[in-house]
Amino acid sequence: MQLLDIKNLTLEIPTASGSIKALDKVSLSLKKGEISALVGESGSGKSLIVRTIVGAIPDRWNITADRLTWKGQDLLGMSEHKRRRIIRDEVSVVFQNAVTALDPTATLGEQLLEAVPDRLLPKTMFWQRRQHRLALAQKQLHKVGIKDHELCMKAYPHQVADDVCQKLMLAMSLVSQPELLIADDPTMGMEITTKVQILRLLTKLNQTRNLSILYVSHDLLAIATMATNMTVLYCGQTVESGSMSELRHSPLHPYTKALLDSAPSFRKDLPRKTPLSSLPGTIPTLQHLPIGCRLGPRCPRAGKECVKAPKTHRLHNHFYNCHFPLLPETK
Amino acid sequence: MMTSYLLRRINLLLVTLFILTIASYALAYLFPGEALQNLSGQLNPNDTTYAALSEKYAMDAHPIFGFFTYLGHLLHGDWGTSINSGKPVLDEILSHLPATLELSTYALFMSLLIGIPVGFWAGIRFHRSVDYAVMTGSVVGFSIPVFWLALILIMLFSLNLGLLPMSGRISLLFDIPERSGFIVLDILLSDVPNKREALYNAFLHMILPTLSITIVTSAVVMRITRRSVADVIQSDYIKAAIARGLSRTQALWRHGVRNALLPIMPQIVMQFTVLLTNAMIVELIFSWPGIGNWLLQAIYQRDYPAISGGMLAVSAVVIFFTLTMDVLVRALNPLKRRDVHGTI
Ligand SMILES: Nc1ncnc2c1ncn2[C@@H]1O[C@H](COP(=O)(O)OP(=O)(O)OP(=O)(O)O)[C@@H](O)[C@H]1O
Ligand code: SF4
Ligand SMILES: [Mg+2]
Repeated sequence: MQLLDIKNLTLEIPTASGSIKALDKVSLSLKKGEISALVGESGSGKSLIVRTIVGAIPDRWNITADRLTWKGQDLLGMSEHKRRRIIRDEVSVVFQNAVTALDPTATLGEQLLEAVPDRLLPKTMFWQRRQHRLALAQKQLHKVGIKDHELCMKAYPHQVADDVCQKLMLAMSLVSQPELLIADDPTMGMEITTKVQILRLLTKLNQTRNLSILYVSHDLLAIATMATNMTVLYCGQTVESGSMSELRHSPLHPYTKALLDSAPSFRKDLPRKTPLSSLPGTIPTLQHLPIGCRLGPRCPRAGKECVKAPKTHRLHNHFYNCHFPLLPETK
Repeated sequence: MMTSYLLRRINLLLVTLFILTIASYALAYLFPGEALQNLSGQLNPNDTTYAALSEKYAMDAHPIFGFFTYLGHLLHGDWGTSINSGKPVLDEILSHLPATLELSTYALFMSLLIGIPVGFWAGIRFHRSVDYAVMTGSVVGFSIPVFWLALILIMLFSLNLGLLPMSGRISLLFDIPERSGFIVLDILLSDVPNKREALYNAFLHMILPTLSITIVTSAVVMRITRRSVADVIQSDYIKAAIARGLSRTQALWRHGVRNALLPIMPQIVMQFTVLLTNAMIVELIFSWPGIGNWLLQAIYQRDYPAISGGMLAVSAVVIFFTLTMDVLVRALNPLKRRDVHGTI
């Protein structure tokens, strides 16, 4: 069953110089128990997708979508109240920048305790509930790798290191025992050992509790070992999606190929001293987007047709948006 | 950490007060007339008194020595005599200052009570019609000169409508013995038979002066609050709280209020200085028996000991209040309490 299903999501941000399509017909779907990766360069709109799913965007922004459903229920059409319940009970988000996503004037403990949902507490008197809350919170802290829970819970965000904030954010998301965890770059800037710890924890939760994960990151290496599926984003457009192994071994979209090639550790057959490959040019700003396929100006395979945005094509379970894909026979 | 901060603040307080006394001593020489007369307040003393005073203020010694003698007298509560009334300056100040403080306190409370919620409302509706309406109102509010506003209020509510009294703190019919100098407290402490009527009457007298000051200050408080709230609403932690399933109102209430108010506390405290100045102007118009009114009379009468004493007292109040609030705000703000728990 599709847990989360997004089809042709478009997000328009009104600005002084007219509205900008920050997301243009993005599609993404996730089955129960799956780990799906969302990758793309900085500024490609990954965090915007995350925020759109949970509804943490300003009212002025205009969302249109053919489908934006959670377990078959339309998230955009339902009442604010119902949507909030779903988000609260079934989905959790780790925001990209944990330090700014925490209230600077509340202790870490207060914020973690607030995230413990009432539904997990036994029906007892309210003074006993606090004890249960505390126990759940502490257990979760140990799981994400914070050993000194007392010290941590008493501290304010500015008093602890950044990776402690990140771990706490993760603890806050996991403590409500969600079905889906959306993790927006949860290991950003972490040391490699800490990073491995976190990834191992997430993989374990996926296996033991059947937790579905939408993992947003630049870190292709981390994703490759973990995710079953991958969606690649460029400038607010989905360029390719499909199973991890297929995308990895036979990318169909020129951008995916460039992305994979630019991560050296990904290519086992790399001869010594080959220059790093990358696409010419830089990612355009949202104010100066090319029409049609947004990769156009940088694409080695671009042709006349590319001034029209390519439709989504399908090859088995592999989706791509390109007029001139790297199909096996053309390779 | 906190103690060293406290010590620094106290140090600052003492140094500032010391500089103020130097200024006040210098004024005695800068004012027209004889320095001795300006210090003591004795007009045309005869020879023996003159000699005694000259001795008392160490007029023949070096001015620095003279200053420390003067400082000694100040510390002993001898601030000279008012030329105007012949009473000791300190007594006069102590009997007039409470009325001013009372008025300022009410005005400050009212300004916060009105300014903060309205500012919140505007901040939540940032760049929508409510916000524009509030902002327009506040521009009008703080651009009106306070004395003009007071006169308009008197004209409207006292002269045209006849609803409210236009001068004084309480009707002369009530004879309230002065104890604390705060009229409400004095009424409660007194044993006049008709306390209820007295309180009601004092309340009516309070409305217009308080309102004149409140309109100006609350307009400023409103703007400060609105800006801060608008910033906080944009912040990641509010978005994160919403993404955790809190409603907008819940998120704002639990995580917004504290974050919006803490950083603007110092700015609001600064408004107290402006408020006190406005209170002193308003006193004059409403014949409120406070220090502003008294100081103005002193200036008219060229009562130099009173002028310098009054200046000293008012500035001391301002400095003392600002520094106390500064310490309090800091104690309340967890962001300023660094390194309490060490790092993890
Ligand atoms: N509040 C906003 N107003 C206008 N534009 C915005 C806003 N937030 C984000 N954007 C724009 O949307 C685009 C996508 O931003 P987003 O944060 O989703 O990128 P990202 O893929 O998450 O990048 P990163 O990998 O650096 O996190 C950026 O170009 C950014 O400038
Ligand atoms: S549609 Fe054209 S420009 Fe876009 S990726 Fe494909 S070939 Fe390149
Ligand atoms: Mg991002």
